[in-house]
Amino acid sequence: MRTQSLAKIAVVGMVGVLALTACSNSKKSGSGLGGGASSSGATSGGTYTIAFEGPLSGDNQQLGINEVNAAELAVKQANAKGDLGFTLKLLKADDVGDPSKAPAAAAQVLQDNTVMGVIGPSFSGATKAVGNTYGDAGLAVITPSASNGTLQTLGFKTFHRIIPNDNVEGTQGADWLARKGLKKVFVVDDQSDYGKGVADAVQNELKAKGVTVTRSSVDAKTTDYGAAAQSVKSSGAGALFYGGYDAQAALFAKALKAVNYAGITAGGNGVKSSVFTKGAGDAGNGWYFTCGCLDATIAANAKQFTADYTKAYNTPPSTYSPEAFDATNALIQAIKDAKAKGPVTKASVLAAVNAVDYQGITTEVKFGADGEPAGATTVSLYTQKAGQIVSVGLLKDQS
Amino acid sequence: MTDFLNYLILGLTRGSMYALIALGYTLVYGVLQLINFAHSEVFMSGAFGSYIIIHAVVGDGKSLPWFGVPLVFILGLGSGALTGAVIAWSLERVAYRPLRRRGAPKLAFLISAIGMSFFLSQLAGKLFNRFTNNQFPTYFQQNRRVLSIAGADVSVIQLTLIVTAVLMMLFLDRLVSGTKLGRSIRGVAEDAPTAALMGINIDKTISRTFIIGGALGGAAGFLFGTAFTFSNIMGFLPGVKAFAAAVLGGIGNIRGAMIGGLLLGVVENLVPTAPWNGHAWIGIGWTDVVAFVVLVLVLVVRPSGILGERLGRAA
Repeated sequence: MRTQSLAKIAVVGMVGVLALTACSNSKKSGSGLGGGASSSGATSGGTYTIAFEGPLSGDNQQLGINEVNAAELAVKQANAKGDLGFTLKLLKADDVGDPSKAPAAAAQVLQDNTVMGVIGPSFSGATKAVGNTYGDAGLAVITPSASNGTLQTLGFKTFHRIIPNDNVEGTQGADWLARKGLKKVFVVDDQSDYGKGVADAVQNELKAKGVTVTRSSVDAKTTDYGAAAQSVKSSGAGALFYGGYDAQAALFAKALKAVNYAGITAGGNGVKSSVFTKGAGDAGNGWYFTCGCLDATIAANAKQFTADYTKAYNTPPSTYSPEAFDATNALIQAIKDAKAKGPVTKASVLAAVNAVDYQGITTEVKFGADGEPAGATTVSLYTQKAGQIVSVGLLKDQS
Repeated sequence: MTDFLNYLILGLTRGSMYALIALGYTLVYGVLQLINFAHSEVFMSGAFGSYIIIHAVVGDGKSLPWFGVPLVFILGLGSGALTGAVIAWSLERVAYRPLRRRGAPKLAFLISAIGMSFFLSQLAGKLFNRFTNNQFPTYFQQNRRVLSIAGADVSVIQLTLIVTAVLMMLFLDRLVSGTKLGRSIRGVAEDAPTAALMGINIDKTISRTFIIGGALGGAAGFLFGTAFTFSNIMGFLPGVKAFAAAVLGGIGNIRGAMIGGLLLGVVENLVPTAPWNGHAWIGIGWTDVVAFVVLVLVLVVRPSGILGERLGRAA
């Protein structure tokens, strides 16, 4: 009897551990205060702050760093020019890329009354979590990378993004796979907002094109992709599309290599990063990545940006750096426009962002009524070759 | 058929990890009637401990001469086991012995265990990093085929994992059933006060039980990290599964933990992938659900697990 009641306690304890550990998945949340903007060339026109919200620590920090560096560069360059009539500052808020940490980061941003707009959040889940917070505060939000295809439909009053969403990217990716004449494609998502969104888009378009799709979900906390890789191979699918993020995709790539999967392997913009190439090693060679993002190292109109960025941070710009640079410059343009018309307030900046038409290095930044990009957007295809991500070209041109 | 064997091998690989960890739960339960929830962090610490040693020896990875590979592997296994043993021993000293001395209720032990689990996991995150996919340096071709059964390939790492785990389990089985230490462990498990009257030092025996369980868990951490990845939160899921495996086999029963672990690993790989109309019937997304449904079903039929409870009697 004694052992029986103890077993009961143990079960209660296990449930407790389950519940608690769900929260303990916490990552270091660095204090993001202290923007690095220089104040050279400042005039007496006041100081306005641009906030950046994205992952600056934890697993997905590389993406946030790519973006925040570009935002910082844009702010520094604008201040250095000296024709703003005001001084700009950058506030960095770290949300770890985690929806549960995003509200704290947003609160940090909203505490500062000089903040006139937000670059970010970087991730779709985080954007969902705080879209209404920023919306209710009337603070303009321009995300350079949150690509989930439902964000524009959720009624966020101040939401804007400068990249094509996952429906556009996934549809084009699926069209590309369909053009290869595949009969069967395996689609896996990681159960995240972003991963499910892009996987759904790919699956729907493939089905519309008459391709059989096997769909599966693998929790993003999985460490052992052996069974997943084996089922991809056993299914006889000619291609695998993974909707998820880089760190997990790298493990999946390794497991697929271990079972000698010979089909096409592809992922969305969440996979395209140095975390993937480093984690997957040789197993990542031959992977394809669809991305509504520009390769700054080869695009002609991004040359100056690439040179400046490399000089400032000793590393070339990476995924979503050019987009963050454009988003920040568009926001700066909007603050300038607002100032030209009258006092700079959150409301006047928001109105200016809604009306902005700014030629950036990646695209012409203007927004539709739902905050989606109104200009032409492009989706590119990348691949990993000998451990490096290289551009293949525009996705719609690939056969 | 080939698919079935492939999944079976994957299941045995994962199951042998569960079994090694489950032994730690079961041994401690045997002597203390306590679920040591911090054991998953002992497992995690084994991976980090062995990584430091392996990294010091092979750097960021290189090809070793043929005799070097087993040497480095055994070194890693040993350092993992040592780290696990040290952490488990300290755990007992810090988190359980003071409570035991004061005759604290069992629930206090449980809270203490959960607290230590958080502490160790966060400490590792603080000391090392919080990335979820750290990898050991590669010093051998892990995925080279060693043998093929009816078209199903077995890779070096899979074979190594299974063989190492089975050897360690056999060793433990001998240790518990055939040595003086094993006799005292069984004695304490059966009836601690009487064992004390017979001249067995209870504190020492409990301490050693923790060390044995910790060494197995730490070694499992090394094996797991080598085959997959390691991180400061790696312990949670395998820990919960191993606990389930221990309950499945009969908590407190050493052979039960081994069988429970292997069975759980095999079932959670075979059931979700079982074919139905040409594709997986349940799907791999449901792996964890399947594992716990099996646990519940077995406990409904046999409430005390497959082999029954009590270390003292069954081992």
